[in-house]
Amino acid sequence: MKKRFPFAAVLMALFGASFFIVPLIATFYFSLKMTRGELGFAAYASVFNSADFLNTILYSTIASLIAILIGAIIIVPTAYWVRLKVPKLRPVVEFISLLPLIVPPVVLVFGYIRLFGSNSWLPLTASTFGTDVLLVVGYVVLSMPYMFRAVDNGMAAIDISTLTEAAESLGASRLRTITTVIFPNVRAAIISGAFLTFSISVGEFVLASLLNRPAFGPYLVQLGQDRAYEPAALAIMSFGFIWGCMVLMQMFATRKPGQRWLLRLTTRPAQRARP
Amino acid sequence: MTLDASAPSADLGAPIPRTSGLRMIGWNWLGVTPFFLFAFLFLIGPVLYLVAGAFQNAEGAFTFDNIIALGSPNIVASFSLSIRLSLLSALMGAVAGLLLGHAVILGGLPVWVRNAFTTFSGVASNFAGVPLAFAFIATLGRLGLVTVLLRDLFGFNLYATGFNLFSFVGLSIVYLYFQLPLMFLIIAPALDGLKTEWREAAEILGASRRQYWQMVGLPVLTPTILGCFLLLFANAFGTLATVYALMGSGFDVVPIVLFQQIRGNVLYNPNLGYALALGMVAIMGVSNTLYLILRNRAERWQK
Amino acid sequence: MSFLSISNAIKTFGTNTVVKGFDLSVEKGEFVSFLGPSGCGKTTVLRMIAGFERPTSGNITIDGRDVTDLAPNKRRIGMVFQAYALFPNMNVFGNIAFGLKIAGLGKAETEARVKEMLALIGLSHLEERYPYELSGGQQQRVALARALAPKPQVLLLDEPLSALDAKIRVSLREEIRAIQRQLGITTVFVTHDQEEAMSISDRIVVMNGGRADQIGTPSAIYNRPSTRFVAGFVGTLNVLKARVDRRNAQTVTIGGKTVQLAQPVESADAQGNLSLALRPEALSLLPSDLRDVTFDGIVKSVSFMGSVIRIRMDVGDEAISFDMFNSPNLVAPSIGQKASAHFASSDIFELSA
Repeated sequence: MKKRFPFAAVLMALFGASFFIVPLIATFYFSLKMTRGELGFAAYASVFNSADFLNTILYSTIASLIAILIGAIIIVPTAYWVRLKVPKLRPVVEFISLLPLIVPPVVLVFGYIRLFGSNSWLPLTASTFGTDVLLVVGYVVLSMPYMFRAVDNGMAAIDISTLTEAAESLGASRLRTITTVIFPNVRAAIISGAFLTFSISVGEFVLASLLNRPAFGPYLVQLGQDRAYEPAALAIMSFGFIWGCMVLMQMFATRKPGQRWLLRLTTRPAQRARP
Repeated sequence: MTLDASAPSADLGAPIPRTSGLRMIGWNWLGVTPFFLFAFLFLIGPVLYLVAGAFQNAEGAFTFDNIIALGSPNIVASFSLSIRLSLLSALMGAVAGLLLGHAVILGGLPVWVRNAFTTFSGVASNFAGVPLAFAFIATLGRLGLVTVLLRDLFGFNLYATGFNLFSFVGLSIVYLYFQLPLMFLIIAPALDGLKTEWREAAEILGASRRQYWQMVGLPVLTPTILGCFLLLFANAFGTLATVYALMGSGFDVVPIVLFQQIRGNVLYNPNLGYALALGMVAIMGVSNTLYLILRNRAERWQK
Repeated sequence: MSFLSISNAIKTFGTNTVVKGFDLSVEKGEFVSFLGPSGCGKTTVLRMIAGFERPTSGNITIDGRDVTDLAPNKRRIGMVFQAYALFPNMNVFGNIAFGLKIAGLGKAETEARVKEMLALIGLSHLEERYPYELSGGQQQRVALARALAPKPQVLLLDEPLSALDAKIRVSLREEIRAIQRQLGITTVFVTHDQEEAMSISDRIVVMNGGRADQIGTPSAIYNRPSTRFVAGFVGTLNVLKARVDRRNAQTVTIGGKTVQLAQPVESADAQGNLSLALRPEALSLLPSDLRDVTFDGIVKSVSFMGSVIRIRMDVGDEAISFDMFNSPNLVAPSIGQKASAHFASSDIFELSA
């Protein structure tokens, strides 16, 4: 077998890498040019000093966190129940959890506005609080496919039914089993799903814009129309934020129950105990 | 068969026999009720409401008028634009993703290259929307870095060739930034699944590299590639934030048209909006379903 | 003249020498097995014959032609893989026809040949099936047919039965051997299962640590193992510590008992200690004229293995294990019982290093 230098592969990899990296470099460079004639972080300072930025990001963060909480409360017990008690319903539940991928956010929010509008049976849009509820609910729905898959994978990895049987044969009640055996073992999967949800919800535009809420997404669009350099700074910050979320998500997704944090970050793979 | 109420763990894990009491099934259903309730109220309900509304007029009577109105030139132009853009974007993403995947996974490059691309793809596939639009304006806009560099270093005036970032072609290049990683992430396991033994078996039976790819490699990958193409198509079709941030509300892809309908910026006709929504859900539903079918086919072969 | 010959093949991966000088001559139509534990280099040598690995040094010749530098797809070799490696996008017919299609054979001839192969493996009724619809044994037979369809010069099999159930393994290995005999094709078979190798091979190459420890017929390997590794790897072995009489190299002491050997001892160390080996079937609970040596001891375990009963006995501070044929009237000894094992002194052989 002759080994040729993989010219084509290297070329393609370089091409791919530059396509990914060049826009980031360009954006970063552009974001540094706010002060005429020199490169500096004035654009970033301007963003952080802006009241609108702080308010909208606070709003979006809180909305996302609540969405994560509600999502976990609904999905985790459901995933547990489906695995343990009603495995026959599993295809149905899985299908429903994947539906949000077919329904674009614009359609979803349209449905909300009509179904829960001012003249409807449950006029949520008539009040600010109601609209906030709709926004959060919308985030829960959008993140459902990812949350369900993350939790489901986590439960699959630890063989829920056998653990439950073992716990109950040792005398534990159902509630105790859930809190002391099941939950700690799927905690990492839940957190993993949470980070993905967080990254989707914070910068979300369509729902927030059409429901007229002061979230981060609409703020970004408005800024893009008004300013030149700050949007570039925000784009870089967004990218960094998403990157952070993904790294943490991955870390939690592959964490084994009981593994220590620092150990994962510092040891080489070969030194980690194999399951 | 008697129900032993004192042993609630008796039904653990075992399949629920159809002859058992209704009570047992009742208890189990209770556990998933919150989920179904939530899904019906906030996902299935709203969509069904829209679908039903598509077949009603303003007074609530049954009509096909809205569906027919979808045939009006503006709407047809919108759907045509959306479909063409999505097809182009899906094609670009599929081809680029396949080439990149092949290069990085099967091309003999060191493992860290693959890991780097995998990590980056996880991030980039989520980097859609407003920030992405900003990033490309800073790159390929009239004063973007690449535009300026091409002019200053190579004397090449990009915009003089008729290229414009704020156009059909420009938009599909922006889409590529999240389509390419998505294709890469999905095709990677399929490329892994191409067992080396197949290549060796083909080789020992006399096949050249080209013959292997033509007769074994590509045919085995085809369901996955097609499925991915459909996924990319649906992904592009439903994109709104990126388009809006880049082109404003003037670029009439279907999501934008619906967006404007909801905003009330055009002649407000909710029933037409319903029909638009129905059209969108139908198209995305069909392409995602086909994707799932193809994925199952591919998984069956890889057994 | 040998049909397939490998001379002084060496293969190094980085700093690790996996094959340390391998020589073999295979006659046309011969069935040779490479036998050895994981990591002994047997698969590497096979892959060098196929062309998937290039020897770091050494030559491979097939039918007088040096193929060392020839690409795998030009060597006219058939290969069967452990994981079957059937092409999932083609049905059985398509898989078997693959090599013929590559060779440019016409449609009619291809069809005739494929049908011929299907009849050979007895799966003519499964022509339209796809690999995922077949059992492991069926898939492997199709893989065999696929490899043989283009009439290769040499057939290579890389642990083809390891992934299959025990019963199928036995029947399929007989079938492979029968087909090989019928076609008269030169074959190399890699396995780690010594029973498999011994039951179907003309000759066995026992490999250890990158080298061939012994090459010979199954009975030669079993009855006259040339190294301790071969003796221990092939079949079970009782290893007895013995001491040679200083005055007479044919007399040894085993566990206090004096035994006259058929041959003088050669491998004793300075103190006169050495290891002697005895196959389990040489021992028996029943005395006979031929069995001139008796060990007395206490039964430690009795394992019923179907047609054979395996008994372990403590003799002094040695443990010996031996087999007896099961018979309906037999009363097996019980654990803790005193028993005597008899064997012929000519059955003992020496273990060299």
